Amino acid sequence: MGIPAAPMVTIAFKDLAKTNAASRGMPLQRIAFTPHPVWGKTDTEMYAYLDGNDPVSGKPVMKEVVDSLTRALTADESKTGSVVPPVGPPSYVDTLENLQQYYMDNGMTDFMPIVLPTQEKVDAMLKGTSHNPDETVGKLTPAQGAFPAWSFNVKQVAINAVMAGAKPEYFPTILALASSGQSALFSSTNSLVYAAVINGPIRDKLNMNYGIGAMGPFAQPNATIGRAWTLLSKNLCNGGLPGQTYMGSQGNIVNYNNLIIPENEKDSPWTPLHVQKGFKPDENIVSLFMGFGIQQGQGGKGLGAKPIPQFHEVLAYNTIPFATIYGALAILDPLVAQGLVQLGFKTKDDLAAWLQKNATAKVGDLKSMLFSRPPTGPEAASLTDDSVVPKWPRADVFHFIVVGGQTNPYHQIANMAYRMSVSIDKWA
Amino acid sequence: MNRRKMLSLLGISPALLVGTETQAQKKSKAAAPSAAKIEALNPRGTPPPIQLVPMAPRLASLENKTIYLVSDGFPGADHFLDQVANWFKKNIPSVTTEYRLKAGAFATDDPALWAEIKAKGQAVIMAIGH
Repeated sequence: MGIPAAPMVTIAFKDLAKTNAASRGMPLQRIAFTPHPVWGKTDTEMYAYLDGNDPVSGKPVMKEVVDSLTRALTADESKTGSVVPPVGPPSYVDTLENLQQYYMDNGMTDFMPIVLPTQEKVDAMLKGTSHNPDETVGKLTPAQGAFPAWSFNVKQVAINAVMAGAKPEYFPTILALASSGQSALFSSTNSLVYAAVINGPIRDKLNMNYGIGAMGPFAQPNATIGRAWTLLSKNLCNGGLPGQTYMGSQGNIVNYNNLIIPENEKDSPWTPLHVQKGFKPDENIVSLFMGFGIQQGQGGKGLGAKPIPQFHEVLAYNTIPFATIYGALAILDPLVAQGLVQLGFKTKDDLAAWLQKNATAKVGDLKSMLFSRPPTGPEAASLTDDSVVPKWPRADVFHFIVVGGQTNPYHQIANMAYRMSVSIDKWA
Repeated sequence: MNRRKMLSLLGISPALLVGTETQAQKKSKAAAPSAAKIEALNPRGTPPPIQLVPMAPRLASLENKTIYLVSDGFPGADHFLDQVANWFKKNIPSVTTEYRLKAGAFATDDPALWAEIKAKGQAVIMAIGH
C-alpha cells in the first residue's frame, strides 16, 4: 500500500500472525498483541487492554502501536529479494525406531505409527497409477488466501500414501483427493471436518466397506484413504501445525481419517450422488464436503411415530439448529432411504424440496442463531420475530448419501456443504 | 457345530484356536532387535519462493495525521477499534480516525479500501482476532 500499517492481533493468534507475515515476505513485521478475546468484552475491558501491556513484549500496547508507525525502519526491515523456505533433505537415514520418532517429532504424522516410506514401498505405490512420478498433481494451502499454496507431484503424494498404510490400488483415489486442492485440515478456528463420498465401480474393486460399520474402523481402503488425505494435508503444504497453520479451537476427532463414505448404491432406491452431479454411473468419482461435523440423528421429532417412522420430519427437525453458512448432509441407512420412498419421496430431489419448505423457524430465533441468515429483501419488511419462515434459502443445500448395513433404520446428519466432485479415473 | 463357528457365535475370535502364541510372536522371538539403518523419503511438498516485502517508510510523528482503523470482520473487532479511536482522542487528539470494515471474509483482498486509505490516510491500524 505504501503507507505504514500496524496490525493489532489478539494473543491467541501470535504464532499464526508471525508465520503468516513471514510467509508473505515480512518476517519482521511489527505486530502489537493484546489479550484474548475481544469478542464479548465490554468497552471498559477493551480499553483496559489498550492501557495495559502487550503480553508478548511486556510494553504498553498503544505505545507499541505508535512506535510501530513512527520508528525508522532497520536495514533488515527494508530488505528485498526472495527466500525459499527449507523443507529438509530428500531422505532420512536412521534405525526404524528413530525414524518413527523423527517423523512424529517433526509434525509429519498424525501421532500414530506410520509405514516408513522407503524407496521400495514408494516405487510399489507408484505402480498404482499410470502417471509420471514427477508430474505435478496440484497445489495445497492450509487456508486459501491466508498462506501461499505449495505445489506437489505424484511421487510426493505416493510417499504420504505409503505412510498412511494404503495399497497401490488405492492410489488413484488418493491422487484425486490431493488434486482437489482441498486440505482436510483447513485452518479455521471452527475445527472443521471434511467428507469424501466415493461412487462408482471402484468401491467394489477396492473392497470398500459400504455395509455394516461403513464409517467405522473396519476396512483398509476406507481407513487408509482417509488417513492419507490427513497426512498429505499436513506434509504437502506445511499444514496442521496448531497455533500456526491450524487454529481449530478444540480440534475434531474426524480429522484423523476424515469421513470416507462409499455410497451403498446397490441397496439405495435413489440415484447415486455422482450421477446427481452429472457423471455416468460407471465413472469413479470422489465428492467432497466440508463443515462443522457429524452427529447421530435419532431422538428427534417424527422418528418415534407409529406405525411408520416419519423420517422426513426428523430430518427437518435435525437440520433446524444447523448453521446456514454450510449445508445439510444426511447419511442414511438404506432402510431409511427405502422408508422415505414408501412415504412418497421417490427421488432425493423430492426430499430436498420438501425439507426446504418444511424445515422452518421463527424469524426471531433465526436472528439469535450464530451463522444463520434471516430473510432479507422486500418480503422481510412484513415479517415479525414470530413469523415462521423456511430455515434454508434453497433446496440444493441438502445432500443425501445412502450407506450402511441395514441393521437398523438409523441416520447421521452433518452440517456440511458440498464442495466439488473429482474424477478418480483420471488418476488411474 | 464346529469349534470355530461356536466361538464366532459367542462373540469370541476364532483366532484363539491357534493357541496362545501366534506365528508372529514366534517369529519376533527368533529375530533380535535390529539396529540396521534404513532410508525413508521426505513427504513434504514444494513451497514457492517468498518475495521479501520491504515495509513502507514510517512517519516522523502521528500529529495531525489521518489513521484508518480497519476491521477484518471478526466479532468484536468493531467495538475494539472504537476504543482505539477513543484512545487517540484522549492521548493524541490531533489524530483523525476513520473506521472501515474490510469487505469479504478475513483473507479476502479489498483493493478499493486500500486505494481509499492510500489516497486519504497516512497510516492504518488493522485489528485481527476474535
